[in-house]
Amino acid sequence: MLSTIVKPLIVALLLAGPAAAHGAFVDVEKLDAVGIQARYDTGAAMAGAQVAVFAPDNPAQPWLTGMTDADGRFVFAPDDRPGRWAVQVRQAGHGAIGYLEIGADGVASAFIAPATAAGLTWTQRALMIASVLWGCIGTALYFRPTRRIRQA
Amino acid sequence: MTLHRHALCTIFATTLAMATSAAAEGSLALFANGEALATEGFVAPELTRDGWELRFEHIFVTLAGVSALQTDPPYDAETGGTPAATITVAFEDAAQMTIDLTDTDADGRVLLGTVAAPEGHYNAVTWSVVPAQSGDWAGQSMVLIGTATRDGQSVDFTLTSSDRHDYICGEYVGEARKGFVTGGAEADLELTFHLDHVFGRLDRGDADQMNIGAVGFDAFAAGGVQQIVLAGLHIGHVGEGHCAVNYR
Repeated sequence: MLSTIVKPLIVALLLAGPAAAHGAFVDVEKLDAVGIQARYDTGAAMAGAQVAVFAPDNPAQPWLTGMTDADGRFVFAPDDRPGRWAVQVRQAGHGAIGYLEIGADGVASAFIAPATAAGLTWTQRALMIASVLWGCIGTALYFRPTRRIRQA
Repeated sequence: MTLHRHALCTIFATTLAMATSAAAEGSLALFANGEALATEGFVAPELTRDGWELRFEHIFVTLAGVSALQTDPPYDAETGGTPAATITVAFEDAAQMTIDLTDTDADGRVLLGTVAAPEGHYNAVTWSVVPAQSGDWAGQSMVLIGTATRDGQSVDFTLTSSDRHDYICGEYVGEARKGFVTGGAEADLELTFHLDHVFGRLDRGDADQMNIGAVGFDAFAAGGVQQIVLAGLHIGHVGEGHCAVNYR
């Protein structure tokens, strides 16, 4: 008797799950972000390449993984751990690693930008460094400060 | 009593210092490999850029000056120059060593050596490919022996190179980051020989930058013992990571 009541109740609760919620929320906040751009020595973008980001206090295990976009770009927002962050980009047997130093004051500086072979021009290097700096400053716009949005 | 306390404190401090000192050192193993192209050969679809299947009996490489470095800042192989090493560990007792990239362990690697190493991240490697001072192939730095096959035609070949290449490489790049030595534990690093930079890869297409620079095998189709110039082909890597190279 009990079973005939309890079992359907449990099933109903399980099925209810997410549907029991009556709304969804998106919290949007402004963050400092870092952008990288990966390219081959031919100048071609490393589109769709594997990206692994390593935090300073656990440099052997990826803190974040992802993929570059069609222009070889990847944007991430490191947390407040100061030290040397590393960003590794790999694709089809080619790979490179770049580093970013984040000070205790949260200011970032790039050491080596990801690229995959010798022969880069100074223009290309400047472009890559500019890309990183753009990531530190300009990406704040990407994460616009807004109010909480509710979708019912 | 006070004297005893001092003695005990001294023993404790000494023991602690020894323990701390011991914990500050681990070991670092260095391997070389020629990837599957060395052990399994260039087989379809990964034929040479001009369509040859290659199988190797031996790939002899003579190495010298092999060292792993902790550098700060990290070495930028694209810029080149001298790495800012804070710690350097050397991997050879003799002046040089000759290895065979086809004679590997189960993981396809050749162990060059294991050395005691202070803790830290070994994020750079230096090494040279040099002409052998003695042995059957004295005067040669690399010797590739095998069989090439295309369209039912097979030729036995021995390709010799006397080029000297000096490599300064940054951090190993691969499936996992490597070179983190911690107290009492072993870490490893790899020197990686990219043979497709020599012979190219048919499956990559003619427009691939590597294929444009690669020699291919047509030039050696007559078989026998022939010289091959490897200068400029960027064979040496650290995993997928690139190195600054000087050819002599």
